[in-house]
Amino acid sequence: MAFTPTKETYAGKVYAVTIGTGDRAVTFGGENVLPFHSFEGTTPNRPLIAFEIQDVPPSDWPENAQKAFEGVSDDPVKWAKYCQDELKARAIALRLVGTHPDRENRSPEDAVKTVKDVLAAVSIPVIILGSNHAEKDTSILVAVAEAAKDRNCIIGKAQEANYKTIAAAAMANNHKLIAMSELDINLSKQLNILITQMGFDKERVITDPMCSALGYGLEYTYSVMERIRLAALTQNDVTMQQPLLGDVGMYVWKVKETTASEADLPQWGSAEERGIAWEAETATALLISGAELLIMRHPKAVAAVEKIIEELI
Amino acid sequence: MLIIGEKLSIIAKRVREAMMKKDKGPIQEIATRQWKEGSGMIDANIGPAEDGGEDLMQWMVTTIQEVVPLPICLDTTNASALEAGLKVHNNEWGRPLINSTSNDPERFPILELAAKYNSQVIGLTVGKGGLPADAEERAGIAAEIMARAMEYGVPLEDIYLDPLVLQIATSQDHAVKVIEAIKMFQEMNDPPMKTVVGLSNISNGCPKHVRPILNKYYFLMLMNAGLTSAIADAHEMAEALNEKKLLDDVLAGKEIDDAAKMKEIKKTLDVIMGNTLYAHSYLEM
Amino acid sequence: MALSGVEIFKLLPKTNCKKCGHPTCLAFAMKLAQRQASLDSCPDVSEEAKKILGEASAPPVRPITFGAGDKAVKMGEETVLFRHDKKFVNPCAFAIEVKDTLSEAEVSGLCEQVVSSEIDRVGQKLRIDSIMITNASGDAAKLEAAAKIVAAKAPAVPVIINTENPQAAEAAIKLFADKRPVLYGANASNAEAMAAIAKNNKAILGVVANGLEELSALTEKVKGLGVEDMVIDSGARKAKDIIEHNTLIRRAAVKKNFKPLGYPVINFMQREDSLHEMLLAGVGITKYASIIVLSSIEKWKNLVLFTLRQNIYTDPQVPMQVEQKIYNIGEPKPESPFLITTNFSLTYFIVSGEIENSKVPCRLAVMDCEGLSVLTAWAAGKFTASKIAQFITESGIEKEIATKELILPGYVAILSGSIEDKLPGWKVTVGPREANALPAFLKTRTA
Repeated sequence: MAFTPTKETYAGKVYAVTIGTGDRAVTFGGENVLPFHSFEGTTPNRPLIAFEIQDVPPSDWPENAQKAFEGVSDDPVKWAKYCQDELKARAIALRLVGTHPDRENRSPEDAVKTVKDVLAAVSIPVIILGSNHAEKDTSILVAVAEAAKDRNCIIGKAQEANYKTIAAAAMANNHKLIAMSELDINLSKQLNILITQMGFDKERVITDPMCSALGYGLEYTYSVMERIRLAALTQNDVTMQQPLLGDVGMYVWKVKETTASEADLPQWGSAEERGIAWEAETATALLISGAELLIMRHPKAVAAVEKIIEELI
Repeated sequence: MLIIGEKLSIIAKRVREAMMKKDKGPIQEIATRQWKEGSGMIDANIGPAEDGGEDLMQWMVTTIQEVVPLPICLDTTNASALEAGLKVHNNEWGRPLINSTSNDPERFPILELAAKYNSQVIGLTVGKGGLPADAEERAGIAAEIMARAMEYGVPLEDIYLDPLVLQIATSQDHAVKVIEAIKMFQEMNDPPMKTVVGLSNISNGCPKHVRPILNKYYFLMLMNAGLTSAIADAHEMAEALNEKKLLDDVLAGKEIDDAAKMKEIKKTLDVIMGNTLYAHSYLEM
Repeated sequence: MALSGVEIFKLLPKTNCKKCGHPTCLAFAMKLAQRQASLDSCPDVSEEAKKILGEASAPPVRPITFGAGDKAVKMGEETVLFRHDKKFVNPCAFAIEVKDTLSEAEVSGLCEQVVSSEIDRVGQKLRIDSIMITNASGDAAKLEAAAKIVAAKAPAVPVIINTENPQAAEAAIKLFADKRPVLYGANASNAEAMAAIAKNNKAILGVVANGLEELSALTEKVKGLGVEDMVIDSGARKAKDIIEHNTLIRRAAVKKNFKPLGYPVINFMQREDSLHEMLLAGVGITKYASIIVLSSIEKWKNLVLFTLRQNIYTDPQVPMQVEQKIYNIGEPKPESPFLITTNFSLTYFIVSGEIENSKVPCRLAVMDCEGLSVLTAWAAGKFTASKIAQFITESGIEKEIATKELILPGYVAILSGSIEDKLPGWKVTVGPREANALPAFLKTRTA
């Protein structure tokens, strides 16, 4: 029996999305095959990893993640420049977590100032995220979308409860938009439909099916992403062809495996390496299931994921 | 096709309140309407009914049979409530149907009741811990339920196999697996096994205007696969039967006059058969 | 192609004799169709039926048991390309490579690490499953010496002997003859000798070729030599090639029932950079490897790999369950809100996530409902007033909280009165139906 490889030709492809401006603009997505299946189609762009920074010092991050940004994380501008210049980041994700009513409750004006300062300091593309407070995010993201006008950022996250205002602001100021739903492929499709029914260009949306950390529901995110990719490629479903986001750092750096010390749990080994490994493996699994854009925290985890990407493409 | 009128469920607010107050009015009104619109049996779903389930089931059976000359499908996980209901059931109007036994050991004793009261019984093809992955697993469980029924002395002719319809909004791939299971179940005995579905669960969680559309065409697809009975809204099913020719024409690749209707049928079939991913707005795409 | 249960049933004796352990021939046929039973269990099946069924019911990826006893590993039996289609069946085995160039102390040390690698995670015992002894020295005596140490120090651990030299292979494999080892290293030039050794020692033969075409020809040849149990290596070492080859192998087996590649896959993942090795192993876990060979097994790395394997091999139809207990979210005080939900892990992750979002410290009672979500558990009679009341009473939570108030998921509002009846002195408050309304709900309460 002679072997003939069963190669698939897919009907659909993932939209390519470009963010940022000038020669630091970056494109991701655009492939017409399952992740890293370059043997049967084309993957024109490498997945993009954005370094996560925030508007307030990362006092809520575990020590091992904080340590990596010692001396810069007290100021978002310093932090952003450090990522761009020292860590050679291709993009950063600025999370305005300080705007959350239960945190510093920073105002839209405060957020606008931070965004303007960061944008003035770096030339790489910037992803601007709210605090995931559906109501507060509407006022914050509307204000910062305008402040970042024409820098071709990604604004997020639009959810079922607030997508209208946020999508309108992203549209008016020429940004891309993250549409997030909670681990439900059908609701993810529905949100993409609702956003495009507003007149928002479907090729300017990034889908966030919601991340989960290794050991804490990763298999749900993994399978939702895999199913979204299959719908995009095999069924040519135009509502599911947006690049996928894995918002990894935030979900990883709060679980026990990244926070517990080696003294408390000697059978789990070195806490620092464990945390880095946890973030890198979560990210890699999501790349294999379909993510084109990752938001991550630890520089060593990012470096490790870049290295495996190099071997995968 | 036996329609088991479905509207008397504790999940519906109006019915629940009537059950709590033992107010016969709404119960009898709904039962009568289901009967007039073509039901051959009435489903009385009282939920797990931990407290006072016996009284409640007896009250439901007698209340319904006071005004409607039909047998009752007794729907609860509470075995003693079932037994109480069976005791007062008026068999002149047909034999009752128990909803349900399954492959969960907790539900085995239900078969004893079926044998003791000469009742028919639904065999839900699920086990303990986890849903069946596909049609083959459903058929595997069905075979075990059938074997157990024989042990308990319940004739296979009295078993209605239920493949468990899941919500299309969250478990779309099961829509087609249930259709396959209905075909398999019939082949498992000669004469063919009877089958039943809890139909409207297919559209549970879908927008209100989409629900009857999914219910109707899913019902017709199951009917084409050989389904013998459905727990469903008799009014909706009567409408479905009126549209059967349209659906069969679309399936045969024929054009139908009403272009909007044709689109609706095609899109719904694509969602049921898993050719397009379901979204609440699928009809607008 | 595979036969349906009813088609198989028609070929069985239809005596319902129960000798196979199934209640009827029909039930047995259905299990055969799902490849969850073996035709050998039927003593009365005709030779003709055996012939038809044997061919039709052979699984696309050959089931093979590697090792013997408690630590034996099942491989193969996979039927799908994507876990959501049904499930991945047999979790891949991790093997640590032990080179025969290492000192006796080093070999012993690695054996001890393997033996003590077991950890418990969500009720499963996870460990490094196997040791590969590699003939890096090229010296048959050294391989045998290293194998002897492994046999003594890690006697129950399944072993892979890695050599292309039949003489070396023979001496080492003999030490594990009754333990179903893998003999890895059969290629086009030594296949006859290696096949003979595998047969004599009841070993699984690891065959290696350069690419899938050569590999298919080689497994056919080995099968012709009388060896049925193989693990296969296409020679892929780079991540990109591993995905390509493993995918094409699984596709050929599952979609085309192509027998020459219908065997478990062994992948070599050893790298200098341990973190990189771990990520590469992650590629193997997600993409169809049955044996993953590693060069080092640090504790943090084991934990990551065990967890990923567990996640990927979770049966998507069986909801992952969270342990039944009362979880503290934030640092609850006696007067903090007290909520209840079921132990479906997704429900738990989302509810606890929303509570975290709210920044309101809470206690969350997670009740064992066999992993069903709230409404399903209620309908199935698992999340009922008396069961909830019993759980709350037995938990002893009363002593820790200031007000006896329980917040119930909105979907089971119907239970509130009945729970109050069964929990004297308690107040039951109906919370929101959906978790995403929890932050607003919790905040209005504390305001």
